[in-house]
Amino acid sequence: MHIRSLSLENFRTYTRLELECPPGPILLCGSNAQGKTSLLEAIYCLSTGHSPLTHVDRHLINWTAAEQDMGYARLRAEVVSRSRALEIALALANSQTRTGAQRLQKQIRIDRQVRQPRHLTGCLNVVLFLPQDIDLVAGPPAGRRRYLDDTLAQVDADYSAALDVYREALRQRNALLRHLAERGGDASQLDPLDARLARSGVVLCQSRRRLIADLSRYATRIHSELTGGQEWLKLEYHPNFDPALPPGLAYQMPMGELSGPPDGISADDLVNAFRAELDRRRKDEIARGMTLTGPHRDEMRFTADGVDLGTFGSRGQQRTAVLALKMAQREWMTETAGEPPVLLLDEVLAELDMQRRAFLLAQVGQVEQALLTATDPTMFGADFLSRALLLRVERGIVGPYT
Amino acid sequence: MMFGAPPSVTRLIETLSELPGIGPKTASRLTFFLLRGETDLPLRLADALRELKERTRFCSVCFNITEADPCPICSDPARDRSSICVVEEPLDVLAIERTEQFRGLYHVLHGALSPMEGIFAENLRVAELLQRVQSGTVTEVILATNPTGEGDYTAAYLLSKLRPMVARLTRLGRGLPVGGDLEYADQVTLANALDGRQDL
Repeated sequence: MHIRSLSLENFRTYTRLELECPPGPILLCGSNAQGKTSLLEAIYCLSTGHSPLTHVDRHLINWTAAEQDMGYARLRAEVVSRSRALEIALALANSQTRTGAQRLQKQIRIDRQVRQPRHLTGCLNVVLFLPQDIDLVAGPPAGRRRYLDDTLAQVDADYSAALDVYREALRQRNALLRHLAERGGDASQLDPLDARLARSGVVLCQSRRRLIADLSRYATRIHSELTGGQEWLKLEYHPNFDPALPPGLAYQMPMGELSGPPDGISADDLVNAFRAELDRRRKDEIARGMTLTGPHRDEMRFTADGVDLGTFGSRGQQRTAVLALKMAQREWMTETAGEPPVLLLDEVLAELDMQRRAFLLAQVGQVEQALLTATDPTMFGADFLSRALLLRVERGIVGPYT
Repeated sequence: MMFGAPPSVTRLIETLSELPGIGPKTASRLTFFLLRGETDLPLRLADALRELKERTRFCSVCFNITEADPCPICSDPARDRSSICVVEEPLDVLAIERTEQFRGLYHVLHGALSPMEGIFAENLRVAELLQRVQSGTVTEVILATNPTGEGDYTAAYLLSKLRPMVARLTRLGRGLPVGGDLEYADQVTLANALDGRQDL
């Protein structure tokens, strides 16, 4: 799929942008802090409904516009996929609540119809690669969970729906546990929330297990090409509670290679196992006032030849592992969605050696469209530059590169 | 120096804008409408508001809003005392009454479970419902909470509490709007409608 046009209003440094995007590679050049990354961020927002860089939607609104009492931002893209063309729009607007407090409202429209964020699934698939993605290997686990959620929610509507239910049930349940810890009350109020948590949680666990197994398969091959077969990269799923593998059984089955529950175990069995675990820990959870079991505490690890790269990997090894992961994601998305995603590569070439650069640029040829940013176009070969559309980004204005 | 509206005018504007769905602009418009008219509308409105506060209370049986206790529905001998319809708000009673299909009694919870918003079972009229069902001759309870996350949660909670006490527990059907078009129904509604399809 590819983006045919992008229009931004009061988004980050852009007060107004109308951009026609042809298929093929698009290279955005400009000095630092001119709006190159913001452009990729905007596309990611339209794909997932949220920014990869901040949790605070308010920060996405252009600073001067926010100051001048014009607290709104609008993003819109026309996306052409093999089967259809559609328009995605995201609007952020400040509004006042009854108490006079400022509130930011986010509205998503798909083909002009107001929709929920989860309906974005399948509309625009992207692989984003930022310099700070090295944190996926070395950083805290929350970043890895967000990566798994964002990747799955882009292509799997059942996952998006389950994620919504899980998050809502978890928030309600934690609030209830805190209340039970402080004030007491009827603990059986937990039962309906446990049922929801277990049912949606099993969907998350099973989907993550399959995704990580698939990504690991692709990433191992890619990584081996990149390192000349010297290292063996593997991605491992470490679920916080694995209903398919009761703790006592874990040693019998290798982790990370299972792509579904063992034979003879139905989804209902998994849900029941999950609920039994919630029952077993209920007293503890009430005492601590929070949910201790479930995919919100899952972990994923990167290992090379069995060594954990997050702890023991060099900076270079971690960078290569992330490159392999992102390119594995490209292949996985292509296979799952039936067509290649849009690649969004932010300043990533600068940190790679010649061989890895060549590899990454070859990957750009595998997709319908890629947007790349760079401060200096000369690091790209003449051959690549002849195929790419070059644009200059300067203080929120995008024009031809001369 | 700038002059604003007199304090009595400002006070009404501010009070009106505390109402849901009414912002400062609508509040000003309403206020100046009341000021301009030569009629006794402001005084009638004041009387109505005072009566609303002074004459209404909750029915001690079903907790609907009423002037007489027990409320007209609870004290109507023609109503079927074996069936109770549980709703979130008094407005829901009016909505179901308009259908003229239900001849039983009601129970108003005054909200739905939502721990995030600080609403727990003890903040709703749940204990009163259980007591009512236990001590009475109730054979059917209809759980008519809203088809929202909170409403479903409340229904599931009540279901587990009431199951040992009542012969028949039902939930309002959820499905397609009358006069609606299949192709415009959202997936969830359509899936629910399929789930709850009926034999003919």
